[in-house]
Amino acid sequence: MISPQVLNEWYPVGMIAQVGPWPGRLTGLLGAPVVIFTTGQGAIVVQSARGVPLAVTLAYGHVWACPGTPAHALFALPEATQPGRRLVDCGVVRVKCSPLRAVENFLDIAHFPFVHTDILGAEPHTEVNRYEVQIREEVDEVWATKVHFYQPQAAKSAAGGIVTDYMYRVAAPTAAVLYKTCPNRTDEWDVIGIFVQPLTEELCDVYPYMALFDDVTPLAELIHFQQMIFLQDRSILENQIPRLLPLDPGMEIPTQADLTSVAYRRWLKRRGLTYGAQRVAA
Amino acid sequence: MILHDYVLSASCYKVRLLAALLGVRLELVAVDFHPGRAHKSVVFRALNPAGSLPVLVDGDLVLTESTAMLVYLAQMAGPDWLGATDATSAARVQHWLAFSARLNGSLGLARLHDMLHFAADIDSARAAGHQCLREIEAHLSEARFAGRIFLEGDRPTIADIACFPNIALAPDGGVELNDYPSLRLWQRAIRSLPRFIEMPGIHRLHELAPAPERGTTA
Amino acid sequence: MTGNWVANGLSQDLPAHGVMPGQWQGTDLAIWRAGSGRVSAWKDRCPHRGMRLSHGFVRGETLACIYHGWVYGTDGTCRHIPAHPAMQPPASIRAESFQVREQDGLIWVGPATAANAPPAVEGMVAVRSITVLATHEEVAAAAPELTATAPECLRGAVVAGPAAVDLCLVLQPKAGATVVHALAGAGADLVAASRWLETLRRTVESGVAA
Repeated sequence: MISPQVLNEWYPVGMIAQVGPWPGRLTGLLGAPVVIFTTGQGAIVVQSARGVPLAVTLAYGHVWACPGTPAHALFALPEATQPGRRLVDCGVVRVKCSPLRAVENFLDIAHFPFVHTDILGAEPHTEVNRYEVQIREEVDEVWATKVHFYQPQAAKSAAGGIVTDYMYRVAAPTAAVLYKTCPNRTDEWDVIGIFVQPLTEELCDVYPYMALFDDVTPLAELIHFQQMIFLQDRSILENQIPRLLPLDPGMEIPTQADLTSVAYRRWLKRRGLTYGAQRVAA
Repeated sequence: MILHDYVLSASCYKVRLLAALLGVRLELVAVDFHPGRAHKSVVFRALNPAGSLPVLVDGDLVLTESTAMLVYLAQMAGPDWLGATDATSAARVQHWLAFSARLNGSLGLARLHDMLHFAADIDSARAAGHQCLREIEAHLSEARFAGRIFLEGDRPTIADIACFPNIALAPDGGVELNDYPSLRLWQRAIRSLPRFIEMPGIHRLHELAPAPERGTTA
Repeated sequence: MTGNWVANGLSQDLPAHGVMPGQWQGTDLAIWRAGSGRVSAWKDRCPHRGMRLSHGFVRGETLACIYHGWVYGTDGTCRHIPAHPAMQPPASIRAESFQVREQDGLIWVGPATAANAPPAVEGMVAVRSITVLATHEEVAAAAPELTATAPECLRGAVVAGPAAVDLCLVLQPKAGATVVHALAGAGADLVAASRWLETLRRTVESGVAA
């Protein structure tokens, strides 16, 4: 039995650009099959196996569906409509892990030197300095700010090593967005998101997404860069034990560098968003 | 030399890897294989009617099979990598180049299925992959009795480079390598070669670098 | 069982600075050899975020997790957390350790409480480890020329290629499979022994399938 708190949230189920007419695309959401197709009038429909339509929002290049009654509108991402940004859909990658572990990994910086070696991090620049984490009650989101990390090649357009500033944001239970130093514009942030479709509690489809200030780099190179980064994470995500994200504080050992993860787990637990989590009594 | 490339392709990585090991500079042209399927576009098929990646272009020469690219690079920049010192070794290297196509059709297919939603009979792809792994494990076990670690002769050749990517990436397709100890040592030997480069799914052997100084803040 | 020791591989398959996965009674292990040659076996899980330590890397006398580089000494305690280079990790952070005995070319793993020694397999040379998709009993039944010298050891002379070879098969149970760690008498034709093992596996698995 899936709780109403889980059912009433928004989840990505596909890329808008890849939806076609009936029979459309068969996929899954929270363990149940759903089909996505366009109608003759060009509308996009997401419906259950029994033909019941789900609430749909089209935003940020992706189709979002809510299997219950939406508790609120989909999160806002104003940068997606900001003039001058290039919006890049980076495809979809399937991962055998909890959707929550995929999000948590996206919020993590300490792994950069070991998993994204010579790109997003490199020894000996491994230290994670204190940063700020808060739950912004007015939007009900987790935010981490004042994150700084040395990166050998922070973006496709970066010429060399720089200390990159980051902000991280959990915008929905299975969607997170980061804002990082833009190599081409000192007054703006580059925006990168991952939208995670929970197929089951231990299997997900991950859609990386970017909204960048970069008019120079060919589109395919931007996509390759982001896929390279995410695929470096995939073999980690498929080898964490247990597959489900533990919410019981005794199961894993966080440090100060893991404050975002701690806040994310607490936020999930408080809101009852335990699909993909290990529901052990604390 | 231009390589039309996809960052997640095991076959493209074969060519990038050998070029790196040989010190040959490739100009990479990124092709939007996924999600754009640009390799199936009319424009791309003018270059390669098969609509496959990688494609290597050097002047008038256009190669569309990755094993042919390995031969070309080795012949030009490092003939020792051809491994063909006599009729027997030449034939054996050819065996592994052909064998690498079986790896691509089994382990490679399982990986594309598990990772990028490709249609496949996943159970039979994985079973065929294990069959390939057993064959190469048996061969490497025998090579080790003679004190060798690479597939043919006493040094790495294009046979190793042709087979390495799909084997190292097998876990991406749900094929675990735990039961193949000789393959583990063989992979380690390849990953330890000077100028070796990684691809996503094959991480850096951090043990090859010394531990940084402790007790100082970065 | 002889003191709950389980053979987990041949010494020759774990060189210095190497790490490999293993298993003890259903628990996944990371088994690694330090630069000094010492072998350790731990539960295959970093206490930080649950990442498999068998994906990690060995530097000197330490194993580090591939995810965040947490460094563990041979006693299992965490020595260093790269995200906090100036901090001394609390002693409570430790990988869960098993006992290891390396003898006669085999790596044996047992629980911390294991008292007696694993069975001896003296005077033989390692051939290879080969995984058979069958039970211990099915493997034993397919090699009637071998007799059990210990619950997990089969030994005897087999005809491998042109000559008889003295073989010892040390069996490691795994889920749905048996790993056969094979050793042969000194001077044996190892290629012939390896091919005999391949045939044994084909025989067992075709019998199982039928």
